[in-house]
Amino acid sequence: MMDYQFNTADLFFALPELFMIAAIALILLLDLFVSERFQNLTYYLTQSTLAITGYFAFNLIGESAVIFDGTYVLDTIGSYFKVFMMVFSIVALVYSRHYLRAHNLLKGEYFILSLLSVLGMMVMVSAHSMLTIYLGLEIMSLSLYTLIAIARDRAVAVEAALKYFVLGAIASGLLLYGMSMIYGITGSLDIGQIAAFATGANLNSEQVLILNFGLVFLVIGIAFKFGAVPFHMWVPDVYQGAPTSVTMFLSTVPKFAATAMLVRLLIDGLGGLQAYWADLFIILAILSIGLGSLVALMQTNIKRLLAYSTISHIGFILLGFITGVVEGYGAATFYVLAYVLMSLTAFGIIIALNKQGFEADQIVDFRGLSKHSPWFALLMLFVMLSMAGVPPFIGFYSKLFILQQVVSAGYIYLAVAAVVFAVISAYYYLQIIKTMYFDDAEKEITVTAPLDMRIILSINGALILVLGLMPSYWMELAISLF
Amino acid sequence: MIALSDYLILSAIVFCIGLAGIFINRTNIIMLLMCVELILAAVNTNFIAFSYYSSDVAGQIFVFFILTVAAAEVAIGLAILTLMYRNRGSIDVDVTNSLKG
Amino acid sequence: MLENYLPIIVFIFLGIAFGVGLTLVGYLLGPSKPDEEKNSQFECGFPAFEDSRMHFNVRYYLVAILFILFDLEVAFFIPWAVVQSKLGWFGFIGMSVFLLLLVVGFIFEWKKGALEWE
Repeated sequence: MMDYQFNTADLFFALPELFMIAAIALILLLDLFVSERFQNLTYYLTQSTLAITGYFAFNLIGESAVIFDGTYVLDTIGSYFKVFMMVFSIVALVYSRHYLRAHNLLKGEYFILSLLSVLGMMVMVSAHSMLTIYLGLEIMSLSLYTLIAIARDRAVAVEAALKYFVLGAIASGLLLYGMSMIYGITGSLDIGQIAAFATGANLNSEQVLILNFGLVFLVIGIAFKFGAVPFHMWVPDVYQGAPTSVTMFLSTVPKFAATAMLVRLLIDGLGGLQAYWADLFIILAILSIGLGSLVALMQTNIKRLLAYSTISHIGFILLGFITGVVEGYGAATFYVLAYVLMSLTAFGIIIALNKQGFEADQIVDFRGLSKHSPWFALLMLFVMLSMAGVPPFIGFYSKLFILQQVVSAGYIYLAVAAVVFAVISAYYYLQIIKTMYFDDAEKEITVTAPLDMRIILSINGALILVLGLMPSYWMELAISLF
Repeated sequence: MIALSDYLILSAIVFCIGLAGIFINRTNIIMLLMCVELILAAVNTNFIAFSYYSSDVAGQIFVFFILTVAAAEVAIGLAILTLMYRNRGSIDVDVTNSLKG
Repeated sequence: MLENYLPIIVFIFLGIAFGVGLTLVGYLLGPSKPDEEKNSQFECGFPAFEDSRMHFNVRYYLVAILFILFDLEVAFFIPWAVVQSKLGWFGFIGMSVFLLLLVVGFIFEWKKGALEWE
């Protein structure tokens, strides 16, 4: 019999999550009973929920505790990740609204499902037991599958949802199998006890073998969620098929959760086996960077192109974890932050080009953008240069920090390969810039995005440049999280 | 007495059948769902066997949660399936290749 | 080794005996006066005798989806009920919150009309 004693004070540490679940239940009911006239109510309530949750998470920065019988942890990295997730979700929802309006998809469920998936991500970020990680992952994934299928009349969206669902279900199955093996050998679901077991000096070779067997499945599950090659099959299809606003959400905020899952399972839990999983990550990283850079050259659909570009960025993020030092982990986290900023802006601009009943998702839709809307063209220029890794944008420094750590960890051939592929990938980023500035538009481009979206998009784009001018503060912050 | 390894071998076999089923059968989505369920059944067997032999109840609680989550997963899978049927009049994966890849 | 399986064999035989026995008793002793009404569809809405590989109305899926969810969520009550007296107020309030969330979901599906047949 367990002697677990519930402590009411523990609830305080889980305040962001508790507030959010209460708010979700309330918004769900309000959305049902409030008439059509107050259609915007759900949207504003959702945004305030995210803001208040972010505020609670911000207030908890610096606190640390393991609560609820060791299933839940509050620490600096968790709190910071939650704050970032809230901020980026708010931005993503501001952009989404324009897209949803333009395509008659504006429903209350969209916002509620977004909130639910964010809740799942928060649980993942704060998980301290394999059970909590799994539950958070499933809350997030199930909401995302449904979110893609919200465009229920579009055959491609439904098909994308189905593909994501099937592959996601397989990934959770593999992850669970790995978890069951780890549980079997360590005898505990608790990350702390797993870590104590895995770093123990008196492991015999059989125990190491079983741990590694489980570890392989865990890595496969994580790679699936990140979308690293060879587990990337869903990424291009889902990015292309999903409504653009969902693609944007999918490509940004969950990356924090995936990083957190990696940190909890592989660094906090199985940090003692770093040498083993780093070997697996080398393969994943180099394949991702390579395939992401090469296949993107042939794309004509901008969402699909950004999907392959994401795959290559994921490769860089994984490179940071190979190093096995705190600075490397920090560089990877910084890369996640930079990637999310760039991706949000890129998709934001794509969404800004959407009009009532017009879906902008081809590269040719960007033709002559510089003449009709020079400001958005400039922002897109920022994003593309930053993604290509041109100084002084944030994308340059994120790549630089990663490569520095990879070289100092002694993997010079990896750094060389990454640079070569980065140069190749610069070609298609420059191709988009050429399309915007030198090709003539076949038809008039009018940007109908509302004012709030324009303002936030401008800030978002400017941050890519501004943060690139002072990267060291954010880099130090990222390192301090580990 | 049945040894722990017997359970592990059983679950490994079930797991492989589930995985093979997914890769061999690419036409019927209901079959895919059933294969996913097989994988989860293998995982559950593992958890319960480990839990019993190490007399730690946490594994059985995990199985409880896996069961409920699997139900939610199947519910969403069926919902997407009915949407797909409504859009195309068919649930075969073969005809659903408008997205290449 | 094999004697472990003895209860299972006994169980199988008992099961067969009960199944066959009760059907037999019903067949031998019960009056048999079939008519149109008795052989017609009952409750599930399908004709009683036809090929089992038939198409279901797609609306059954909706009912199945909703059923499967609530069915398994309610399964959490069983272990809770077993130890409820030891858990005290903590267990009671915890389960009430769980039930409340379930009810929110139920209100949602009711109001959305998922429980209406048409």
